[in-house]
Amino acid sequence: MEGMAGQKSTLVWAVNISAFLLVLLWTIPTLGLLVSSFRDRDQIASSGWWQSFSASEQTGFVRTGTDADAVQRDGLYVIEGNVLAEGQSLVAWGTRARDPGAHQPGETVETSDGWQLTVAEDGAYVLTSPTPFEMRRGERIFLTTKAPPKFTAANYQRVLTAEGLGRAFMNTLTVTIPATVIPILIAAFAAYALAWMRFPGRALLTAAVVGLLVVPLQVALIPLLRMHNEIGIGKGYLGIWLAHTGFGLPLAIYLLRNYMIGLPREVIESARVDGATEFQIFRRIILPLSFPALASFAIFQFLWVWNDLLVATVFLGNTREQLVMTGVLRELMGSKGGEWEILATSAFISIAVPLAVFFAMQKYLVRGLLAGSVKGG
Amino acid sequence: MRTILYLTATALSAAALSAGGAAAQLVIEPGSDDRINWQSLEDFKAAHPDLEGQSFTLLGPWLGADQELFTSVIAYFQDATGARVNYSGSDSFEQQIVIDSEAGSPPDMAVFPQPGLAADLAEKGHLKPLGEDTAEWLRDNYAAGESWAALGTYAGPDGEQALYAFPYKADVKSLVWYVPENFEDAGYEIPETYEDLKALTEQIAEDGETPWCIGLGSGGATGWPATDWVEDLMLRMNSPEDYDAWTTNELPFNDPKVVAAIEEFGWFAGNDDFVAGGTRGVSSTDFRDSPKGLFDSPPACYMHRQASFIPSFFPGGTVIGEDADFFYFPAPAEGDLGQPVLGGGTLFALLSDNAAAAAFVEFLKTPAAHEIWMAQKGFVTPHSGVNPEAYGDETLKKMGQILLDATTFRFDGSDLMPGAIGAGAFWTGMVDFVGGRPAQQVADRIQQTWSTLN
Amino acid sequence: MDLFWLAVSTIAVGVFGCVAWFWGSNMILDRIWPPRGPNAGDNIRKANQVRPWLFLGPAILFLTLYLVYPVIDSFWRSLHNANGSRFVGGANYSWLLGDGKFRESMRNNMLWLLVVPALSTLFGLIAAQLTDRIRWGNIGKSLIFMPMAISFVGAGVIWKFIYEYRAAGETQIGLLNWIVTSLGGQPQIWLTLPVWNNFFLMLVLVWIQTGFAMVILSAALRGIPEETIEAAILDGASPWQVFFKIKVPQIMGTIAVVWTTITIVVLKVFDIVFVMTNGQWGTQVLANLMYDWMFRGTPDYGRGSAIAIVLMILVTPIMIWNIRNARREAG
Repeated sequence: MEGMAGQKSTLVWAVNISAFLLVLLWTIPTLGLLVSSFRDRDQIASSGWWQSFSASEQTGFVRTGTDADAVQRDGLYVIEGNVLAEGQSLVAWGTRARDPGAHQPGETVETSDGWQLTVAEDGAYVLTSPTPFEMRRGERIFLTTKAPPKFTAANYQRVLTAEGLGRAFMNTLTVTIPATVIPILIAAFAAYALAWMRFPGRALLTAAVVGLLVVPLQVALIPLLRMHNEIGIGKGYLGIWLAHTGFGLPLAIYLLRNYMIGLPREVIESARVDGATEFQIFRRIILPLSFPALASFAIFQFLWVWNDLLVATVFLGNTREQLVMTGVLRELMGSKGGEWEILATSAFISIAVPLAVFFAMQKYLVRGLLAGSVKGG
Repeated sequence: MRTILYLTATALSAAALSAGGAAAQLVIEPGSDDRINWQSLEDFKAAHPDLEGQSFTLLGPWLGADQELFTSVIAYFQDATGARVNYSGSDSFEQQIVIDSEAGSPPDMAVFPQPGLAADLAEKGHLKPLGEDTAEWLRDNYAAGESWAALGTYAGPDGEQALYAFPYKADVKSLVWYVPENFEDAGYEIPETYEDLKALTEQIAEDGETPWCIGLGSGGATGWPATDWVEDLMLRMNSPEDYDAWTTNELPFNDPKVVAAIEEFGWFAGNDDFVAGGTRGVSSTDFRDSPKGLFDSPPACYMHRQASFIPSFFPGGTVIGEDADFFYFPAPAEGDLGQPVLGGGTLFALLSDNAAAAAFVEFLKTPAAHEIWMAQKGFVTPHSGVNPEAYGDETLKKMGQILLDATTFRFDGSDLMPGAIGAGAFWTGMVDFVGGRPAQQVADRIQQTWSTLN
Repeated sequence: MDLFWLAVSTIAVGVFGCVAWFWGSNMILDRIWPPRGPNAGDNIRKANQVRPWLFLGPAILFLTLYLVYPVIDSFWRSLHNANGSRFVGGANYSWLLGDGKFRESMRNNMLWLLVVPALSTLFGLIAAQLTDRIRWGNIGKSLIFMPMAISFVGAGVIWKFIYEYRAAGETQIGLLNWIVTSLGGQPQIWLTLPVWNNFFLMLVLVWIQTGFAMVILSAALRGIPEETIEAAILDGASPWQVFFKIKVPQIMGTIAVVWTTITIVVLKVFDIVFVMTNGQWGTQVLANLMYDWMFRGTPDYGRGSAIAIVLMILVTPIMIWNIRNARREAG
């Protein structure tokens, strides 16, 4: 027993480590997105997200005050101020864009306009001139600075306070829940019929379901919207529920049928012998046993509907009142796109609910295990 | 069962409509800003007394900040007529307008970013003609009005040419952006002629610096910034007539004139010393990231050719006119091509007989509808009846002036070509060209695609 | 608040409607042919002939209206010209055969079909087996599953931070190029490298679909009766042998299902290519090519639909294989 325990603990370690590596590999890309969602746009464009945890050296420029800030002292015109922001420390500075790090802190140099400029270690600068300053904008001082890691919650604030997000959240729920539950119900019955009832054309029908999996959504949009318009459904919740149900059904039937066909034959046969009707068998035996499969499909359908924008804009419309969450988030990103920080933040805000659903459903995946052991016993 | 479902759904959406009807605020108090022609708004109001309570749907490509600005203009229409405009923006506008009009549930009005798609829908009979009066009005009131009217004139389902789309909001594309202080520090002058521009490019490269930032990346639309380059160069090397012929394929895409323009673009983008990141970086750099090189220290580049919208992708806090500025992409000193300007514009078209939507077209003719947006940001207009003083800043005013002064004004050619070319083969072709394929081959291939269009 | 209650009641009405149909129709059937009384046997037989169609009815209705009808509509359109005004027969198909982009898409789709289902299923199986055996398995599962929950646009941005290219000498903001340059290499424009860029795109789909495979396979692994495994362990089987000789064969059916499903996802792959390269640099795939012709610029439904039909024909071998499976299971 001792030896086996030792072997077992090595194995446990190996499993833990390889699981950790796999999870790490899968998480790194998402981690990048998470970190980026706490950075501002300029930061995202100027350094990698993995560098945001360490003090970073940055090169940029600040402007001195203008002639309005100048004071007269000892017969000279002087502008004073500080170039550093909170937490930064000065590494080098310069006055020309081409050589931004030409001078050490504390040096005094003459600018192209003949002024004297000193930037001290603590960032205090003194610009002096024998004659009054004349400038519309302050002189540029190029700085190489070290700054501690900086994160901001501003992106989240912006997205979460976006106009209409609350209402869009409700809209999305109104779309998502029936669009998840209805196809599961319909598919469960169909899957049972395909798996356990005998009737002509069963294999052909099963294959047809597989074939329909491949129908691209894009070819279906125009004919279906036209059909909805012609029979008077138009654009609205009913239309989008129906559409999502139609698009989700093949996968639901396919997954559920394949799970159900793996259920033990004896249980079903003996129930039939006992005189149970098909409906009773379905409700009392098949449904409880199929919980893991139902739960997994529910997760996928929920996700797909939750993240969908295309079907929603086509079948629900996209006026302010009809917008779903993805639509509001898309609006925030602007016409030309490229606001990566908003994109990153949006992705995390919209992922919250599906992940919660996944956690909730895990319980049912376990319940499937229990059902399995009961049947085994 | 179904009926109950349907009723509930209808009730739900009806409730949604009334809940969302918060009145938009007027950004400028009517009568307060004397740069704006308030009288035109009053006249419009007097001419449309009977629209109270009506509403129409408007689908357009504007989202985010653009949507806010446009909504601020809509507010004045709603205030004047009492009608309600339900604007919705979509980033997949082109797809959505096609689906909606084909399926029989089009919006009452749509804002087309590309005339090609509007022309296609007009031919299928989805658009309503705007009438000869409006066409006449465009010719009289827009600078270079004839060409603006032509932009919205398409063949209808019967093959008859008519005005189907009303241009509102223009873009100027022939702009080169730069950082004035970097030019000052290095002693560079703003080039007055195309030859000077090339000389400056060579000089910057000789100084050991990189003159240009060019980025063609744009996700699904990668390549389009290069088509603007080629179009600008076409206008600088050939007559406007040749340019027009090129956009309709009367001048084949693989004509030596076009190939020469592509090669001219290659003079800039195909030289590792001339572009930041080298030629290899051109096609992969995102167009939104590429202007940032201007502001690096030391600068990654000194010039960036891009349309008037690009400042929204400059680093935060950049002041246009001070931290960054633009100059007109200059024309050659030799020859008689004048000062050609490349631009674009959005077009409003009616898809139903909604009276309020038709009144909106009339609203867009009022100077006030232009001045209200001008006074904010990101809007230039060819309307010659507006007060140029209304521009919110000097930059816009300067752009507006370029638009009004142009001796030749031409629209973005890729927008005029069939979608498969202007939003497809041309883009891909330019990516291939930058990737090293010879201009002649690229042009041949685009022409080949064009020939197969039915 | 009103909206909230309206939403809740609509949800209730929608769900209730479905339940009512199945329950009600079965009730009626049992009334007509009650499974008891003098004719019980005869009645049950009659009812059992009808019942499959009651169970299947709603599904068949939906599938016909929402999927079969669009397919027929597409086929019809594929025989017509760009705006559907003229019948052109097979012209769109013969155009396809000569189109370079179409051939490129076919080649790429085949590559995707070979790589993505295999890798996703393999990683999913490994992930399922590993996470089922550790204490923090649920957290691990959630993390591997997370990519599935992120929208494709979000995924596009995530991988931008991996593949992004900056010129040599600049700060790399793409992880891959940062690693390469840290090791002293030259930064690469990953998404434009011929042929290889296809694999970089596939990686994104593998990353997403592994979560799917893991969830389904994990459910199957948990369904294996404990005693068969215990028996094997008592017989002295090593963990590897238990996994490959006992567990994998037991869930072979599920593996096939996962493989089939991912294969179909791959056939339809669109968003990733659309967002990341739009089919440029030799990465075009069928679904994106179809989108190009249908919605980009001036639409040409004829050609777009023809591509869609080709796409659907490609699934035939999988259908045949499934028919054979279904017959075997039934027999």
